[in-house]
Amino acid sequence: MRLDRSTLLWALLVAALLLLVVNPLARLVWTSFQHADTGALTLGNYAIAYGRWRNVEALVNSLIVGLSVGVLDLLFGVPMAWAVSRTDMPGKGLVWAAVLGTFIMPNYLGAVAWMLLAGPNAGWLNRIYTSVTGAEAGPFNIYSMPGLVFVIACYSFPYVFVFTRTAFDLISSEMEDAASTLGASVWRTTRRVTLPLALPAILGAFIVAFLEAIALFGVPALIALPGRFQVVTTMLWQFFEFPPKVPVAAAYSMPLLLITVLLFWLQRRLIARKGYVALTGKGGERRLVKLGLARWPVLGYCLLVTTLSFFVPMIVVVQAAFAKAWGRGFSLDNVTLRNIRFVLFDQPATRDATWNTFLYATAASLLALTLALAIAYIVQRRLVPLGGVLTQVAMAPFVIPGIVLAIGFYAAYTSKPLVLYGTAWILVLAFATRFLPIAYANSDAAIRSVNPELEDAARILGGSRFLALRRVVAPILARGLAGAFILVFIPATRELSSAIFLYTTGTQVLSVLLFDKSDEGNFELLSSIGLVLVVVTVALVMTGFRLVGRDFMLRRTAT
Amino acid sequence: MRQVLALVVTAALAIAVPVWSNAWAFDGEKELYEAAKKEKELTWYTAHYNTETAAAICGGFEKKYPGVACKYVRTTAQVAYQRLAQDQKAGIAQASVISSTDASHYGKMKQDGWLQKYRPKNLAELADAFKPFNDPDDLFVATAAGLVLLTYNTAAVPAGEAPKKWTDLLDPKWKNKISIGHPGFSGYVGTWVVQMKKLYGWDYFKKLELNRPRIGRSINDTVTMLNSKESLVAAGPSATTLESKGKGNPLAVVYPEDGAVLMVSPTGILKNAPAPNAGKLLVEYLLGRECNEIIVKHAQDPVNKHVKPMAGGKSIAEVKTIRPTYDEIDKGIPEVKELFRETFGI
Repeated sequence: MRLDRSTLLWALLVAALLLLVVNPLARLVWTSFQHADTGALTLGNYAIAYGRWRNVEALVNSLIVGLSVGVLDLLFGVPMAWAVSRTDMPGKGLVWAAVLGTFIMPNYLGAVAWMLLAGPNAGWLNRIYTSVTGAEAGPFNIYSMPGLVFVIACYSFPYVFVFTRTAFDLISSEMEDAASTLGASVWRTTRRVTLPLALPAILGAFIVAFLEAIALFGVPALIALPGRFQVVTTMLWQFFEFPPKVPVAAAYSMPLLLITVLLFWLQRRLIARKGYVALTGKGGERRLVKLGLARWPVLGYCLLVTTLSFFVPMIVVVQAAFAKAWGRGFSLDNVTLRNIRFVLFDQPATRDATWNTFLYATAASLLALTLALAIAYIVQRRLVPLGGVLTQVAMAPFVIPGIVLAIGFYAAYTSKPLVLYGTAWILVLAFATRFLPIAYANSDAAIRSVNPELEDAARILGGSRFLALRRVVAPILARGLAGAFILVFIPATRELSSAIFLYTTGTQVLSVLLFDKSDEGNFELLSSIGLVLVVVTVALVMTGFRLVGRDFMLRRTAT
Repeated sequence: MRQVLALVVTAALAIAVPVWSNAWAFDGEKELYEAAKKEKELTWYTAHYNTETAAAICGGFEKKYPGVACKYVRTTAQVAYQRLAQDQKAGIAQASVISSTDASHYGKMKQDGWLQKYRPKNLAELADAFKPFNDPDDLFVATAAGLVLLTYNTAAVPAGEAPKKWTDLLDPKWKNKISIGHPGFSGYVGTWVVQMKKLYGWDYFKKLELNRPRIGRSINDTVTMLNSKESLVAAGPSATTLESKGKGNPLAVVYPEDGAVLMVSPTGILKNAPAPNAGKLLVEYLLGRECNEIIVKHAQDPVNKHVKPMAGGKSIAEVKTIRPTYDEIDKGIPEVKELFRETFGI
């Protein structure tokens, strides 16, 4: 009975993954070995893609960006997650809202804001610096490798924050108590007990941050090019310029796939022989760490990070959104509500796009999460063979550049038997595929922390595995899954690279409108749409959290 | 008696004027409209204007020809081409009309047999300056135009000191203050680079590099650079700059003495168009007066010979313009992309 059901589920999941991931991916690999015109097998695409030092250099740059962003994200995100989850730091609501706002802000909008803040010639920060010190030039230059790393990190650390926070939320205080009973200080306990317990989540977050950083196009296009260096995505974009060299692009993106495989192998090696089961059936309690006076510097750090990532860039965005002409800067006669009114009321396109954006993102998140949870569960509980392969497949979409994934989708679902092009479904499926890795990494970390004994108890009492899942595992994971939902939902609301190839009139989304405004050099409207997006999404998500309920582990519970 | 006469004349005018404006503007318009109505709707891939302009044009078209829905997919030239290429490969008939800004797309589309012949009846309405850029075989026709010219921030550069010709950008006083786009990312920039090389040789860019220009992606990035004062002068686009200036931003354009680079963007009807008649009707509309008045309202350059450009801009016919031939663009862009990378390192 159990075997039958599991096998059926397994077959379903494999079919879904074939449809969403393997098919487009196989096309990509196959294309990379094909001659563009004749279709003959060749290594020529690799020769073109990697035959020049410049192209190799771009790959090296991407690796530097990815690793640096990953590290910076951990420095930004982990302490904040710990502070919000495990301590009595004040102002948690504000910090959480600012992290959400950061996450929602389209990163190229943030990049433009930072160009205005830290441009070497006229950046606000540099102007303040020179007027205070009398120096000839300011120290900040956004058009540089550190500048690029900083901006990407600002808009990707929320991944780390949400991942790690979810893990911290699930760790009961008893583990920490054991350490403190033996005389360890708060810091030592945190370092030796709390952090290591969250390691799977932290590693997962690092990988997601790394992959996000190397797959990003908008921000490098704005910052790396004027800084006179290229990364993989800006090179890839040029392979798609007329005449498009899709096979070369496919060949050029292969190392990214290999790197992902390598990263997951490393992750498994690192956490293989240790136990991370934090949730057992023996009762648990969570108390907040009392920080005492230290709570102020901790809050200060959280606010410093969110000031850099959210509050200061928002000043720039708000100024432009309410300006008649943003190039004129701050002045009262430059203020207008016209842009906002235009975006909200005068232009039906924005209204429809807003509705579509939230609808598709919700559907895609639910789909991705269901799929991810099911895969993570059967892999973790070793219910089926070849779990490792399933993991790899579920994580693969993250490194397929969005543009390539979109073209795979387009090719796969514009012809019979499955014609989805022109419908909303193709966008929903593409978004779900694109963010399946995030859903998976999150579900994996969540399930890893649940002791199988909990289910075993239910099963010994005669319940089926599905009953155990529904009545035991699901309630425990509910809160963590709310975090996972946000991690998929928000990127889906701002996803551009696949949307731009798959939308038609009637299925337009906000990210496409934003890209148009950025392409059209219309910073006033770009900022207005961005502002609407940030405000509406923060409100939606905060309300959602209210509805889902509070942190259930704050009280003693029977689990 | 006089009053009666006046009344009669007024009444006659009142009746006649609407009738006259309803009259068919070109031969066969009525038949084309009837045929288009049967097709109900058309899809138009366009990179010619920004989203608002495309929406306004489609709105104007639907108002003039009720019963024919105009669906636009406004995107960049590369994305439009990429989508069309996918459509063709998959055998999908989605778009009826394609308007790209990258002239080299048309040579390829023509060669691949994607376009169908149509000689617009409104061709006489097209300003003479653009006629040389129509396809001799009637596969595509010029429907949009723009200029690459010198632009600057008026809050930082007095008009007297602004560059007057392209070679002025080589003056060391603009060191670290120039903004340009990248030919690997923008067809507009590619055409400009080809033209500069034709005028002054590649040396022009080697000297320009001594001034360390800020290199953005698209030509419109120069508008952002100027508005933020990160750069003070630029090789920028006419329409986007004038639109931003129109809002009150401190920008101005200079028509270079050695010639503004003319960008002509054609429109073609697809061979597999699901709505060929509606497509033809749209092409006629794009050349007509109403459409060009909408275009001017959105700060773009008109192509209709009777429509005046917006205040602050000059009619393309009055300006000295220069432009490489289609052939020079086709062959030149891949070449200058390489040279550009050699010289500027990206």
